[in-house]
Amino acid sequence: MSQQLSSKPFYDEKIEGTIIPLPLIKDCYAVFACRHKFCREVCPVYQDDRDESHTSYGFHTALLGISQGMGELADIRETITNCLECGACELRCPNTLFGGDFYGASTTTVDLVRKVRRDLVASEIGFEKYEEIVATVDRYIGYFEGPEGDLTKWADGLNLATSGETMLFVDYFNAFETTDIPRNAAKILTAAGVDFGILPRPGATLGELLDINLETFVEMGRHNVAALEQAGAKRVIIINPHDYTYFTRDYTTHIGELPFEVVFITDVLEELTNNGQIVFDEATANEVFSKVSYHDPCTLNKICGITESPRSIIGKLPGVTYIDVTPVEQWSYCCGKGNASFKTLHPDTSYKIGAKRLQAAADLGVSQLVLACPHCKDQLTDVGARSGIAIEPVHILTLVAQAMGLD
Amino acid sequence: MAVEVAEALEAAIGELRTALGTEYVMTDFHQRAIRTTNTSPMGLHQWKDLLPDVVVMPASTAQVAAVVKIANKFLIPITPRGAGAGLADGATPMKRGIIVDIKRMCDILEIDDEDMTVTVQPGINMQELNKVLRPLNVWFPDDPASYPVNVLGGRIGAGGWSLLGTGYGHVPDLVCSMEVVTPTGDIIRVGAGGGRKIRKSSVGYRLKDLFIGHQGTLGICTEVTLDLAPRPQAQLPVFFATRSWEDAHRMTLAFNRSGIRCLSGVVMFDEAKVEFLRRDDEAWIPLPEWVNSAVATICYGTSVELEAVKSSIFDIGAANGGVYMGQEISEGDWASRHDRYHLAYHGRSDGTIRLMSWSCEDAAITWSQLPTVKRRWYEIAEALVAKHPEHFDIWGMFMYTGNPFRPWGDFLTEIDIGVNELEMTPEIWADWVEAKTQIARVSVECGGSVSAAHGGTREGEVDVACYEELKDGQFDLMKRIKKMLDPNNIMNPGKYHLDEAYEDEETA
Ligand SMILES: Cc1cc2nc3c(=O)[nH]c(=O)nc-3n(C[C@H](O)[C@H](O)[C@H](O)COP(=O)(O)OP(=O)(O)OC[C@H]3O[C@@H](n4cnc5c(N)ncnc54)[C@H](O)[C@@H]3O)c2cc1C
Ligand code: SF4
Ligand code: SF4
Repeated sequence: MSQQLSSKPFYDEKIEGTIIPLPLIKDCYAVFACRHKFCREVCPVYQDDRDESHTSYGFHTALLGISQGMGELADIRETITNCLECGACELRCPNTLFGGDFYGASTTTVDLVRKVRRDLVASEIGFEKYEEIVATVDRYIGYFEGPEGDLTKWADGLNLATSGETMLFVDYFNAFETTDIPRNAAKILTAAGVDFGILPRPGATLGELLDINLETFVEMGRHNVAALEQAGAKRVIIINPHDYTYFTRDYTTHIGELPFEVVFITDVLEELTNNGQIVFDEATANEVFSKVSYHDPCTLNKICGITESPRSIIGKLPGVTYIDVTPVEQWSYCCGKGNASFKTLHPDTSYKIGAKRLQAAADLGVSQLVLACPHCKDQLTDVGARSGIAIEPVHILTLVAQAMGLD
Repeated sequence: MAVEVAEALEAAIGELRTALGTEYVMTDFHQRAIRTTNTSPMGLHQWKDLLPDVVVMPASTAQVAAVVKIANKFLIPITPRGAGAGLADGATPMKRGIIVDIKRMCDILEIDDEDMTVTVQPGINMQELNKVLRPLNVWFPDDPASYPVNVLGGRIGAGGWSLLGTGYGHVPDLVCSMEVVTPTGDIIRVGAGGGRKIRKSSVGYRLKDLFIGHQGTLGICTEVTLDLAPRPQAQLPVFFATRSWEDAHRMTLAFNRSGIRCLSGVVMFDEAKVEFLRRDDEAWIPLPEWVNSAVATICYGTSVELEAVKSSIFDIGAANGGVYMGQEISEGDWASRHDRYHLAYHGRSDGTIRLMSWSCEDAAITWSQLPTVKRRWYEIAEALVAKHPEHFDIWGMFMYTGNPFRPWGDFLTEIDIGVNELEMTPEIWADWVEAKTQIARVSVECGGSVSAAHGGTREGEVDVACYEELKDGQFDLMKRIKKMLDPNNIMNPGKYHLDEAYEDEETA
């Protein structure tokens, strides 16, 4: 399970106008003083707009500048939206690489960006397109408050239990927008003989909420933890990597130690293939026959460090020719959707980052790009249609289901 | 700001917006604040005074020329900015005005793997360029420790030094030709030949050299044709531990004289550097107590070549008191050469953690003078730390071969000093500047140059550079050239005391 190297409780203290709390000044200075600026070329946003203020160094320096009397919080309301919350800069920063675990002072740009956005909201300054984000959040909260059956409609006909020691957690994006992903997950687990249940009413887990309203995000989190515990969960399987970061990092930071184990679906599938519960039988003619590469979702690769299980599964799929791009090389990639509201805030940049990612796959001469994230699937499908880059984005669970003869 | 100045600025900003589009003319405080700094220490007390008025991000040579013309029309200074990771304050505006951030100009215009050149815009980073060149089995071998961040314009502006320069040449050796927007907004090409790709010609003055290492005072490079090299088949890093720095120094001379052609760099680590790495570098593999200094050698070439020289390298090391540190340290340490610099969080020598930034001297010193320079630099640095123990810390010395294509003669000589910028005061800053002046003076007195890589433009060293190192007519000629090319003193004013060129006239 991933964990946050450096937890920074002083992020809880709100920035008021021109006043930056002292521990935050020092934290920002540690990035400013580093000045290697290795957080730049690795940043998918900077690669596109080449604006150094839209980087980890830029955000930290802006806050330090405020602390030195050069401006105020409201001045950075636009700039702070230029982050995908992808985590690449955190990994590349020498503070993380060489001092993070020792000094407890890793660079935590993603948390900082969210904190600043929330402080802007709390100060009633808001930021660009704030209303659109509120509308998304309201829609999701509406789902939570809506009729019970709606949230599990994706599972119609699958006859899934609502309790069990193993629980499959399905977020709203998967439940409403990419229903084939949770359906495939459920079918694969069932075929592999795993007993599991789903929550009839999971709480909302969207990044937009974390960006603007920590209180409600945590409230929803408490609901999820309690409901899963009540359902008897000892192990919770997550299929949206964004959720995996919320459970393993944000819930543990804001709620405390979780009363169950949290595992990502690809880790589970790797286990099931290793112990023979899932067998890809070439003789059953379910070969996938495709030349593929794999896109590491930022959340899995850069924030949680899960990179091996998807590769291991793809490697076992019959008929697949696999061309790898290493996880470290993929630090500088993103599908362009972002961990929360980036696509809404900056649709053009989002598209260009996505097109660059698809083109990189096309340059490898593959026909499919395998994904492990519903948001990547959604985004790269859009980008593919708009750009005409002839690469088919395909979710890893689709390929697994196909190879098992389940679709 | 005086009323006329404010009005001129406002009018200039209006014209800049028309020329570049509103989006790329930025006046927000943070856009300006971030582009005030570069990577050498700056007391935070100075930050506000150095803020530029406006930042522009042009996308083409024509836009750069338009910006320069507008600046001349309204007499507003320009500071060119690459990655802003220089260590000589070159990209820090001393007279406010316009920052021309060239990072949007980052296209690769042509790759020629037959005549072995690549033509790029100045905003591209070397690592990113090499990613594109890799499938063609060629590379651009400029390899400063700041390789993952610098951009070509900044490398050219600083006249940079490369860790592999002994094998492959430094920035000035790797530029075939350049397009430059002059301080008056004309677009010229410097370099030889009817095309862009000739390296050696005897026609005309060597004007290309004038436009390398000028710290943005003579124009803005907008396109450059670079020399490529075949990607080396193999590398052989060999690190030796020694009991004393004197052993390391002697061993280096033996390597200088070895005649090994694929030797691409030799680096000495002194006692304090080894101690610093032991104390502060998480990635540094602990060494036995007896180790006081180290020598790193790096060879690049074909596998056959490297296999053939391997035993000579080991023999020279052993014959000069060196103990091979093993493959893990040698390869690991060489691989992390771009990452191994300071963290603000490093514990101090007294065991406390005090946030400090990094200052790095980079004098060019000949081999014979290294012991004297080392002794005298430490005397200066130790006196500074003794006076302000909370504000400075000594992080040791490196000496790297500096002669292009040859492993003998000059050494880029670096002493690293931690600087507590957060708690800096004007009085302590004055003592720092004085120490830097003394350090620079030692270099020149020992026959060396103030800077082998970054440029001699920082407070403290700039006086020594202009009035001591460049005396005997060079500095006077620089001023005449500056004034001829930049009659309005638009390009990066305040650097290298070139403002004097204009003051002389006022006095007259
Ligand atoms: C960790 C670290 C290690 C370093 N190691 C080395 C090293 O090994 N070798 C070395 O040489 N340097 C080293 N440096 C110093 C520095 O990074 C270089 O000197 C580099 O050349 C600066 O490039 P930049 O793109 O950051 O330029 P900037 O700092 O933006 O600019 C440098 C100078 O060039 C001018 N300039 C920028 N763009 C243009 C242009 N288009 N036309 C004309 N002038 C321009 C600027 O005005 C300025 O004077 C290191 C720095 C750091 C932080
Ligand atoms: S989190 Fe990603 S998008 Fe945001 S600054 Fe870091 S690298 Fe850039
Ligand atoms: S959509 Fe996928 S790749 Fe994009 S930010 Fe989310 S996890 Fe990262």
